[in-house]
Amino acid sequence: MLETLAAGQLLFAALALGALYALVALGLNLVYGTMRLLNVAHGDLVMLGGYATYWAFAAAGIPPLAAVLLTASGGAALGAGAYRGLFRRLLAAPRATARIEANSLLAFFGLSVIVQNLAALAFTATPRGYEYLSGVVRIGEVAVTGGRLAAVALALALCAVVLAFLRRHVLGLAMRALVEQREAAAVVGVDIDRAQRASFVLGFGTAAVAGTLLSMTEQVSPFMGFPITIAAFVVVILGGLGRIEGTLAAAFLLGAIETYGVALTSPTYRSILVYGLFVTVLLVRPQGLLGRRAIVR
Amino acid sequence: MIARRRFVAGVGAGIAVAMQSRLAHAASTMVLRIGFSIAKTGIFATAAPSQLNAYELWRGQVNGRGGLTVAGTQRAVEFVQYDDQSNPTQAARIYEKLIVQDKVDLLLAPWGTPTHVAITPVLERFGFPMIGNTASSVKLRELRPGNIWFVTASFPDRVATALAKMLQANGVRSVALLTNLLPFGKEIKGFLEPALAQAGIAIRVNEEYPPDIKDMTALLTKVKQAAPDGVLALSYPADSPLYVRQAKELRITATFQFVLIGPAIDFFPKLLGSAASDIVTLGEWTPARNARARAFYDAYVAKFSEKPDYLDSLLSYVSCEILEQAVGKAGLDRDRLRAAVAHGTFETVNGTIRFTGVENTVTSTGFLQLQDGELQQVWPPAEATAKYRPKTAW
Repeated sequence: MLETLAAGQLLFAALALGALYALVALGLNLVYGTMRLLNVAHGDLVMLGGYATYWAFAAAGIPPLAAVLLTASGGAALGAGAYRGLFRRLLAAPRATARIEANSLLAFFGLSVIVQNLAALAFTATPRGYEYLSGVVRIGEVAVTGGRLAAVALALALCAVVLAFLRRHVLGLAMRALVEQREAAAVVGVDIDRAQRASFVLGFGTAAVAGTLLSMTEQVSPFMGFPITIAAFVVVILGGLGRIEGTLAAAFLLGAIETYGVALTSPTYRSILVYGLFVTVLLVRPQGLLGRRAIVR
Repeated sequence: MIARRRFVAGVGAGIAVAMQSRLAHAASTMVLRIGFSIAKTGIFATAAPSQLNAYELWRGQVNGRGGLTVAGTQRAVEFVQYDDQSNPTQAARIYEKLIVQDKVDLLLAPWGTPTHVAITPVLERFGFPMIGNTASSVKLRELRPGNIWFVTASFPDRVATALAKMLQANGVRSVALLTNLLPFGKEIKGFLEPALAQAGIAIRVNEEYPPDIKDMTALLTKVKQAAPDGVLALSYPADSPLYVRQAKELRITATFQFVLIGPAIDFFPKLLGSAASDIVTLGEWTPARNARARAFYDAYVAKFSEKPDYLDSLLSYVSCEILEQAVGKAGLDRDRLRAAVAHGTFETVNGTIRFTGVENTVTSTGFLQLQDGELQQVWPPAEATAKYRPKTAW
């Protein structure tokens, strides 16, 4: 058993799960953190990214690693469009902003149903898949298909880039200011509109890229998004709503719990482990692992 | 004067409405409404299109021939379908609605064993006969329901016996058994354990996993360490590719690789390429079965631009064929229809079918193998279209 737990293969599996969770949850938490919008259609953006990559590969022969640029731009454009067309005016109205959290849940749920069914209508519910970088690469004792390795590497790199952007770039700092203190950010001259648009662009773009990476390792179907949304929500709540670093920490923790927990017990305990951790964190630290308790004066 | 005009206009409108209503009624009685639920969302949504496509193909063909013959008259087939969200309880509610509120003329089956099991009490309560397809359950068979039949030859006890025989015939002495917790896999496992013991085949790893599994590394590390001759993955379409991909990564060396459901679907070899080669799976049909089988295959490919699922599309289409032939003989009277199905003999794309109790006892339980991108029947030997090949590479 110890030999199994110490194996690099298991570590890679935990890392792979964590990287995917991180990339998906990052976008979700960014949109929530800056605007308090609960995007339950986030997984459907992943699905759309997956389909875009599949069709780019199947119809035009564009390799997924090149299609990443297309899906990222497509996702970003969709984010900018959604912000401009649907949410900009809503967020500008103070009365609507007060109810935005509950209303956004309903709005995005409706959007999710529409997107899923339109996808089923357009692509049929038949799963689609393609073979890409399927050769096994050996790194020490770890064996992994080229596609999975590339997907994990790209996911990690993108998470690092987003984190660096949020910490170093002026727009990233503006977005963080919005997460920390929305009203105070406005007082000190942060361009709220620009920061909100950037959150949508980044959130939707990373989700679409996650779709590309997922399609490199598994089949895509119109209804693949919902379980992804659920996993992302678990990560976001574990890490703390609006806490970007917390999201990354929670994603890798969840990946490790799933992988090592299953290795130590049985795969049938997966849900108990995941949701056990979830409930424990909610009871012990309701603000999330790296969240801060809100002080109301 | 105005009052008289109004009166005449009113009477005219009334007559027009009445005539329209009669015409509409006549038109509606000429349509044959067939209801079913389908897993458009949820965990079975990946598998259900194989079934729905077969239904659509059959409906198109029947309507192309002028409709389904009912008591000497042809009636156009219309589907009444709802998404059961892969939720058996929801499916049971839908079938009750189809019978009570929608008052459909006939029923087709939903996807999967749990859903079939859930709707059986509804069929029994209303005495509504239905031909099951993508399912089988020994537990259900033992309850001897009178309104459901299963066209498959893959009842869990028969699958277990045939698989043990095939393993024995190919020199497999030990296996790893990985079971998805869904009912069909669990039932097969229940019969497989004693069948393997009887055949002298050791089970070196025996693990279960949930349907929403995301990673099998821990599970397959155990399999690799145990180094069995064969791996029997009692998996479903959503997790079958995950098994194959990770078994390839870990270089599982077992030469007999059985993956229960998934490899017979068109997307499987496209997604996995050479890793899918020489995988054995459940199924007793290829287009080489008979002339009708080839015609079905060609029509399916022409309509959907992909190959049919050799398991589920086939079973679904066969259930439609049986329903069509039974209705042709008995009409829509449920008692006569029930008797026609229970005692009839049907010519289908999968050969002749008859039922003993709820079970198709004519078709032999078989297994397919993906060889060079094509599914070949490799068991039973008498019906094989190709010889079984051990899997020596991923």
